[in-house]
Amino acid sequence: MNIPPPLIGVSQAIESIRELIKHVSDTGLNVVISGESGVGKEVVAQNLYFSSPRKDKPFIKVNCAALPEGLLESELFGYEQGAFTGANQRRRGKFRLAHKGVLFLDEIGDMSISLQSKLLHVLQSGEFSPLGSEKDIKTDAWVIAATNHNLEQDLKNGKFREDLYYRLNIIKFYITPLRNRPEDISPLIEYYIQRYSNHFNTNKLLKPSKKVMDSLLAYHWPGNVRELQNVLKRVVVLKDWEEVVNELNSSSLPTNLAVKQSDESSIVSDLLDPGDLETKGLESLSLKIIKKKVLDRIEKEVISYVLGKTGWNRSKACKILKISYKTLLYKINDLNLEPPSTLKRKLS
Amino acid sequence: MRVKTEMKKKYKLLLIDDDKDILAVLSKFLRKKKYTVVTASNGLEAMKLFESEDKDFDLIITDLVMPHITGVGVISIVKQKRPEIPIIAITGWGEHPEALATESQADLVLKKPFELSELDNLISKLLSKNNNNDT
Repeated sequence: MNIPPPLIGVSQAIESIRELIKHVSDTGLNVVISGESGVGKEVVAQNLYFSSPRKDKPFIKVNCAALPEGLLESELFGYEQGAFTGANQRRRGKFRLAHKGVLFLDEIGDMSISLQSKLLHVLQSGEFSPLGSEKDIKTDAWVIAATNHNLEQDLKNGKFREDLYYRLNIIKFYITPLRNRPEDISPLIEYYIQRYSNHFNTNKLLKPSKKVMDSLLAYHWPGNVRELQNVLKRVVVLKDWEEVVNELNSSSLPTNLAVKQSDESSIVSDLLDPGDLETKGLESLSLKIIKKKVLDRIEKEVISYVLGKTGWNRSKACKILKISYKTLLYKINDLNLEPPSTLKRKLS
Repeated sequence: MRVKTEMKKKYKLLLIDDDKDILAVLSKFLRKKKYTVVTASNGLEAMKLFESEDKDFDLIITDLVMPHITGVGVISIVKQKRPEIPIIAITGWGEHPEALATESQADLVLKKPFELSELDNLISKLLSKNNNNDT
């Protein structure tokens, strides 16, 4: 492969990524690319590599989430023969293989804290030593890391080392989710339909109808560009836009509810009866019911807070809440609010 | 007196910060001090200015935490291409200046909050040091 996978899109977000690539690809400064799964973090990494002076040297990829800690360590730094049981022969690590080229550390946010320290050491000293070796080996690998985590949040939670964060995060790329740049959907469709038609050796497909296009634009693409690619492969093979797109819209909601993709969907799944959803499908969804549940939940919290503060003095509470005494009593009953047991005796 | 002011070289500074208010305050202050000030609100914009040929800067002042190209990145790139240009890095509140300052190759690191006069003194010092080296 000697051309990079294309970075497709006309949105401002993609334009500025192209511009940033142009300005930093010859610097060799550490890079972090963040964004949701499927947005194309590796595509950006490869574009950086191909427009850099390192393009004729290796591009080595390591997925930090795919391997257990010990294995990942030996994968990165390599080992000497006899370093541990089973190390029958010497193995060069990825840092060695990526010398003068690029080391792409995918899913860096999933790396253990102890391995993070070792990585930091390599980045600071430019040297590493394979397991079981006494010699330090110099490395000149351009480290490009990617993650779907919010590393700033991980810093606060102590899951990511601060010094490593600052060492890596010198150039920052953030790739916007596809749903926030719908203008890129059309050029993506055009490109991939062409490509898959060639690949599967099918006749060129007709363009999607306006109705199909509208639903593709309205869809929220939790799997981002990767999901769009899969959809387009199906379209090319089945030669039917309508069917694939209808499937997409009917299947997407329940899976999202089940998978808890984002905070929003977890709120939804939280409020819906999962059993109901499974047996009755989407028919059990009712905005009216959900609204009532949400409101009840908030009312319950607020009223019980105020009652707690007033020591269950209901006339004080209803003044604070600016509702009638009668309404308050009704709410207490309706929302199953009960005074704490210590107060119960006094009240009765 | 008049001759002296005319003789004095008007230095050109590049000021980089993603906080518009800080950018406004600092550039107003530095212009009063008779510097020519060019501003950039992020690292990428700064790099574009830096690479355009007609902008020959005598000194750069940059924030460290910024989107896209961080201050640490800006400093590294400038030091690779024009190591003689002095750079003052500014670190903000609530950030971790130690970790950042270690990463940056700035000539000086200034922690917020700082006195404007302090910044002015540092600029003069760095510029005169550079001038002495030139001659």
